[in-house]
Amino acid sequence: MLTPFVADALFAITAAIYLIASSVFLVHLLGKTGLSDRAVQFAARAIGIGAVFHAGHIVVASLVLHVCPVEGMHFAMSVVSMLACIAYAFARLRYKVDLIGAFVGPFALTFLVGSRAVAERSEFSPRFTGAILPIHIATLMLGYALFTLAFGAAVLYLVQERRLKNKQLGSVGQRLPPLDALDKAELRFLLFGFPFLTIGILAGTVFARSAEVGSDVSRLPALFRAILGYLTWLIFALVLLLRVVAGWRGRRAAYGIIAGFVVAMTVMAIYLLRTPPVISP
Amino acid sequence: MILVVGLSYRTAPVEVRERVATSDMPSVLARLSSRKELRESMFISTCNRVEVFAEASSGDGAADAVAAIAEELSHGSSLDRHEIAQHLYDKADIDAVRHIFRVASSLESMVVGEPQILGQIKNAYEAATTAGSVGQLLSRSIERSFQVAKRVRSETALGVGLVSVSSVAVDLARNVFGDLKQAVVLLVGAGEMGEAAAKSLGRDARELRITNRNPQRAIDLARATSATAVPFEALEDELVRADIVVVSTASETYVINPDLVKRAMKRRKGRMLLFVDIAVPRNVDPRVHKIDNVYVFDIDDLESQVKEAMAARHGEVSRAEKIVEEEVDLFQKWLLGRNVTPAVIALRERAREVFLTELERSLNGRLRHLTESDRAALTQMVESAVKKHLHLPTARLRESAVQGKASDLAASLRYLFDLEELEDRLKQSGAMPAASAEVSTEVDVAPVDNEGDGRIH
Repeated sequence: MLTPFVADALFAITAAIYLIASSVFLVHLLGKTGLSDRAVQFAARAIGIGAVFHAGHIVVASLVLHVCPVEGMHFAMSVVSMLACIAYAFARLRYKVDLIGAFVGPFALTFLVGSRAVAERSEFSPRFTGAILPIHIATLMLGYALFTLAFGAAVLYLVQERRLKNKQLGSVGQRLPPLDALDKAELRFLLFGFPFLTIGILAGTVFARSAEVGSDVSRLPALFRAILGYLTWLIFALVLLLRVVAGWRGRRAAYGIIAGFVVAMTVMAIYLLRTPPVISP
Repeated sequence: MILVVGLSYRTAPVEVRERVATSDMPSVLARLSSRKELRESMFISTCNRVEVFAEASSGDGAADAVAAIAEELSHGSSLDRHEIAQHLYDKADIDAVRHIFRVASSLESMVVGEPQILGQIKNAYEAATTAGSVGQLLSRSIERSFQVAKRVRSETALGVGLVSVSSVAVDLARNVFGDLKQAVVLLVGAGEMGEAAAKSLGRDARELRITNRNPQRAIDLARATSATAVPFEALEDELVRADIVVVSTASETYVINPDLVKRAMKRRKGRMLLFVDIAVPRNVDPRVHKIDNVYVFDIDDLESQVKEAMAARHGEVSRAEKIVEEEVDLFQKWLLGRNVTPAVIALRERAREVFLTELERSLNGRLRHLTESDRAALTQMVESAVKKHLHLPTARLRESAVQGKASDLAASLRYLFDLEELEDRLKQSGAMPAASAEVSTEVDVAPVDNEGDGRIH
């Protein structure tokens, strides 16, 4: 029953749902007149439903391939985007920031499809010993998922802020979520994501010390990666600290989150670009 | 003949309107129904409009009917007939229909496109239906007006983006704060404009606070709006506390300057602050807008928004008016066609009667040998011959009805074929359909009910 065909079918359904949701959001934002609230709500719900199929795809595919989902970069990318969608589905119930879906949808679609392309190229499959490495990867994935949402909120914040500062009070802004909601959503996503990032980075540090990994040449990207990892943590920590202590809200916080997210994505890109076979982290 | 008699914000000041308006529909309807000058009546009363829609008992009794309505309107108010008469307008026939359509479509509203009026007419119609004061002609026009309003709403953007300076201010505040439930609104200066904006912002807000250089004015206004009055000297503290600040003082210089706001923002820990400056000259230094997380919108920003929205709606008004005119034309055709409908039906009935009687006679005499199916075929043939034969005269009659020239023709027909008595007979036997029903001919000029169900929506 669990054939590659089932995995492919789930993949296709997920991709189709994400594509539809993304299109609705983009048409809503970029079109001459916005779509109705119902259309936006439909797209937002679709992302949640897509995440369910996405989860199905990941489970079936990993059973077919006999790969633990958190093991390879292939699934890691896919899992991060799925977690982002699930987090979004829950967050939108509380924070009324459906439009972050305009970011989450395309993001999930890219990562879902991208993970397939990557999977076809690299075939690394590290063998873990102990719990440290799975903890490292799983927590980081959760953290990344939440930062993705924070990043989406930050981008929307900057667009809305620019619009108000430039007094371009046309109809596009009416479709964007209110500044305050976006600012609050950023903080929440960051606050939830930060502990995971912290644990993930600690676990990674412990693992790197205990493991004898790679040759001297392959150590270089690993080192670079580790530095960027710490930098990510530092940026997010600063964003949170300055917000509480110095009232760095709004624009500055949004820039901080975007910077942190870009660094975090760079770490991920380095993972993707490394030459197999290299053992994680 | 349909009539509209009433007064509105265009013809009567609020002092007059509030004395004529009443929520006691049943008693007004009962009084209207008791007037022999009126065959049908309906009463609508809103804060901007008090009107009676009616049908006069006879074609030439319009003037009497108008007088009767005026009398009933003054009866319910504390105004005498002459006082009220100078504010009343009356419209008859197709102008009355046009008026009803325009009112229902919100083209006559003070705020064009506002949606409440349709609901108010529906309620008035329901009350009149319950009271049994509306008949077939008014029902037809009112129900049609609902369809017209529906068309206007779905085919134009008339009701989209209703705007005033206050509503733009509320929209802007929503862009920043979302719903305003948690927001604290501070009104600086108790001018009239500021009061209006602060009121519409304060309606949804958690708290409305008012400060003014002259404290007594702040206290008075606060009392009237269930707000809190605060001393003007505490402005900086208030800026720390508020989220939305409406500024509207008579000051010739800036009341809010960047240093003041910067100090407040420090204490606010960067929480967003929105200034709505509706004073002329401006009261908020424009440099305040450059401070992080602070937004300043002055009267020009708000008014340009209002203008933009109004300009966008201007085209909508003429589109809506076009729709109304289309519908008025259709309705007029129906009204006119309606006068000849009984004659047409009677004429057809007369012809059928003659032919079928002859056929019957033959079938019982010389054609007795025919089978059942032959008989049926012959009857069928006669029926369709009648229809075809009368098609052209019917069509011509309806055409001339549309051009308003049918009454002579109809009278001639009635005389030539002795239809008068037959019409009465048909009416009594119920064979004559209610005049709202159309006789089916290929030239059907009656308005077609687009929605098909004819119900109130």
